[in-house]
Amino acid sequence: MLKDITLGQYFPGSSFIHKLDPRTKIMIMFAYVVIVFMIQNFEGYIALTAFLAVCVTVSKISPKYLIKGLKPILIFIVFTGLFNLFLTSGTIVWHWWIFTITKEGISFAAFMVLRLVFLILGTSLLTLTTSPIALTDGIEHLLSPFKKIGVPAHEIAMMMTIALRFIPTLLDETDKIMKAQSARGASLDSGNILSRAKAMVPILIPLFISAFRRADELATAMECRCYRGGENRTRLYELKYSVTDGLGWLYTIILFALIISLNFVFGKF
Amino acid sequence: MIKLENVSYTYMQGGSFEKKALDNVSLEIKSGEFIGIIGHTGSGKSTMIQMLNGLIKPSLGRVIIDGDDLSDKKVKLRDVRFKVGLVMQYPEYQLFEETVLKDICFGPLNMGLPQSEAEDRAKFAANMVGLSESLLDKSPFDLSGGQKRRAAIAGVLAMEPKILILDEPTAGLDPAGRDEILTKIRDMHKRLNLTVLLVSHSMEDVARLADRILVMNSGAVEMFDMPSKVFGKGRRLEEIGLTVPQITKVMDRLRSAGIQIEDGIYTTGDAYRILLPLLTK
Repeated sequence: MLKDITLGQYFPGSSFIHKLDPRTKIMIMFAYVVIVFMIQNFEGYIALTAFLAVCVTVSKISPKYLIKGLKPILIFIVFTGLFNLFLTSGTIVWHWWIFTITKEGISFAAFMVLRLVFLILGTSLLTLTTSPIALTDGIEHLLSPFKKIGVPAHEIAMMMTIALRFIPTLLDETDKIMKAQSARGASLDSGNILSRAKAMVPILIPLFISAFRRADELATAMECRCYRGGENRTRLYELKYSVTDGLGWLYTIILFALIISLNFVFGKF
Repeated sequence: MIKLENVSYTYMQGGSFEKKALDNVSLEIKSGEFIGIIGHTGSGKSTMIQMLNGLIKPSLGRVIIDGDDLSDKKVKLRDVRFKVGLVMQYPEYQLFEETVLKDICFGPLNMGLPQSEAEDRAKFAANMVGLSESLLDKSPFDLSGGQKRRAAIAGVLAMEPKILILDEPTAGLDPAGRDEILTKIRDMHKRLNLTVLLVSHSMEDVARLADRILVMNSGAVEMFDMPSKVFGKGRRLEEIGLTVPQITKVMDRLRSAGIQIEDGIYTTGDAYRILLPLLTK
């Protein structure tokens, strides 16, 4: 049952987008989020769709896979849409009992849903084309200017790396413990909510204990190798900007300009 | 009685990481037998034993325990698990209760036994594995490694299974703890007439204990025979990453040095019986 969980959904590849420096990708991601919020009309979304479609094509990631990423937040999207649809005041187009749909409500709801969908699609493209390690590396670099005001950039990145590294280990462990307890007759998938919650105890306690033990062992192992945080540490793979990153930025800036001019030409929705 | 009929198992079927763990395995184990299972890492031992209590379902073929086909929907897997006790590798991670006694009671209570009977069984099982009564009220996390291992084995034993499967029960224990646990297992096998399946990487242990030895190699049954027959095929065993007991090697060397001794010696006891008259001559 645990094998259904897909984590670290990185899709290895060697496309233009895969080759971008993680720092560039994260920054472009931020720019993209700003752009999504700047869009004021549907023409802007058409431009954004074209922009994203080009990115997806270039990255060679199947659009199906990208859209699958929307599934977990589908309920959230639907609710956002419905709330905005029914609770926006304005010109009434339809009325029944306590439900009122206004013209403004329709466009507002559509706008919110589009905004959410595009935010998810864009961020998924980032995690699909960047390995978790590269991602934390990029975050560390981007955070390092804040070291001056006491942000432990290296430590944060290290914590993220370790957390990511241990997800598969802990999944394996959970599987093992579940098997061992089922071998002793624990029934994990029957009964009401209360008895099911109780049935989790024999799994969670050993899991926590082993997680603590692993943390302890890892800390010892790191200390044995004289690990002491970010100060003066060099790295195996230095991040380097290249021409590709410039092209990436150029592409983003063009989209930025396009959205602003569309806002001018077509105005607010 | 355990019966496997043309059992195959494929991990990640259909995916790009598809891996065949078991390939057309058929075998029969009679009740009361002590079976040693040996095989190279990844030869399918662990997959096979997890099938015997329904933790893993075969991709193809049938697993039959006492006439019940485990893939039959009418057969309740939980009942099968009480009958087929499985002690997994490094079983001490399964301990979770406040006291050792409570932890050993977990299985019996899951069977629906009343508290008093569960405790009686737990005490009996603890005694079987050589866990002293004074430890029963302690937290399982305060025990030593060997004691934890015993508590975990007792937790399975307290369900009074007819078939006991142990996956490397002595891995990571010191020699004294290892010998003691194995001796206890043999005692239980004799006293309770248990069917025992013991997975081990120690040729000496299986040679000493098992009635028959099952040799697995890349998901298939390589040999399934008496220890003397299996260890008579030393060369083949070495080809598949296994070996023969040290004493068998010693006897082979003596034989090639021209000393007349019989074939198929695989325990120190037998070697002693044969070598003593030669040395005192």
